Amino acid sequence: MEAFLKYFDLLELSQEAGIEDVRKNYDYLKNLYSGDSIEIAALNTDFSPELRQEYLARLDDAHEKLTQLLENKKPAVAQNTVRMDDELCDWIANIACFSGAALKSIRERMVVDLKDMFTTTRIQLQYLEDIENEVFESFRAEVYLRSYLVEYTRFLSLDTPRVLADYLPRYRAWAASRTTPAGMPHL
Amino acid sequence: MIWAIGGGKGGTGKSFITSSMGTYLAQKGRKTILLDADLGGANLHTFFGLTRPRYSLTDFFDKKVALQDISVQSGIANLDLITGSIGSLDSESINHGQKQKLFRHIRALDADHIIIDLGAGTHINTLDTFLLADRMIVVTAPEVTALENMYHFIKSAYFRKLKFIFKAYDLTTSIQETWKNRATYDIHNLKDLIIHLKQSSDRVRDIFDREMSGFVVHIVLNQVRTPRDILVGENLKSVCMNFLGLPVVYAGYARFDEAVLKNINSKEPFMLSNRLSPVATEIKALAENIIAGTHISVRKDVANGSLS
Repeated sequence: MEAFLKYFDLLELSQEAGIEDVRKNYDYLKNLYSGDSIEIAALNTDFSPELRQEYLARLDDAHEKLTQLLENKKPAVAQNTVRMDDELCDWIANIACFSGAALKSIRERMVVDLKDMFTTTRIQLQYLEDIENEVFESFRAEVYLRSYLVEYTRFLSLDTPRVLADYLPRYRAWAASRTTPAGMPHL
Repeated sequence: MIWAIGGGKGGTGKSFITSSMGTYLAQKGRKTILLDADLGGANLHTFFGLTRPRYSLTDFFDKKVALQDISVQSGIANLDLITGSIGSLDSESINHGQKQKLFRHIRALDADHIIIDLGAGTHINTLDTFLLADRMIVVTAPEVTALENMYHFIKSAYFRKLKFIFKAYDLTTSIQETWKNRATYDIHNLKDLIIHLKQSSDRVRDIFDREMSGFVVHIVLNQVRTPRDILVGENLKSVCMNFLGLPVVYAGYARFDEAVLKNINSKEPFMLSNRLSPVATEIKALAENIIAGTHISVRKDVANGSLS
């Protein structure tokens, strides 16, 4: 999973970038580095044919992986989407804090098993449980947690941005609290 | 603030950009001194209609006159000129002591902005003067030869800077060892070497992060003729980072304009007689970008159409 950071880096994007940015920068870089424009030709030995091949291959790979990560994946089978009755909708609309526990109770009220969620999202059970228990140590960077949360909320047909906006700040606060505040060298 | 303008190739418009940015800054009310360090073929004064400056750097080197005292008025308020000397001196003939003295005097000059116009080429004196600056600027043109020389120039300056750091921190031996065994570490170029060194030791990483954080080259693209040409600068940002491992800022561009040539030939400062020219606007924009350290914003998807 840590490879995703490298992919964003290769495409000269920040990890907040969306699928549209990924496509745009991929097209731009692919076009720039596969062509024979003067800015490339002038590089001479600094950009050998082998280097070009290797770079373009990495670019393709990054594009493919990030597209998979960010693609608006609809649940594969229709009956996997959860039906919500009005009462449940109202109840969810009134939830103020989407903590892991809240997400768990929403899921349980919808009678959704984590195993079903795994079947569609292919997210390891352990991670799904860690989301619900807010075991932040399991997620090495926000980008992973975020992508899991997106899948999780989509599966339950929840308002994804709203949940993210509520959930992620707690992760960030936790992440910030474990780095040394001053003099920490930037990696 | 000291600005140095280099770029490797001759004829890309370093002196034009220097004189025009200087004029712009002076008109804004900033005390500005232009220093013509093209010791082989100095003619920055010609851009201001001066044929024979009273003093030149020869007086500084040979007659021990202070640098401040050999500046001459350019004819524009707030703008003074320290001229080189045509032919009589070249960068080969300046020794280390003279160079250090020149640098001391440059730093001591009383001005808001000091813009140094470097000659073509990558002589160590040229590179050292480039590295002296707070703003390292290269002027290049959308031609393959100009870009080749520019890459070479930036790389040479970077090597030179690294050499100073290696020496200052007594790293030279260990780095030479690493380089000798580069096959073992899968190191192919300078970028790989730096990455390897940074990973191998926290101390080296800290040194690099501290010393190299200021190493940013500002690119000015001159003689732009088409919108595709404008994009060259944008592409250089990616290319320099990816394949040279160097961060560059695309400060801006100036289009090709016959009026510029006419002005040079008639020895009139361009910025004074062409206030409404798009080139004047472009010069202002790139000068402001250089001061702020910001990029010009170019839309990557604009590649067709003509310059408006």
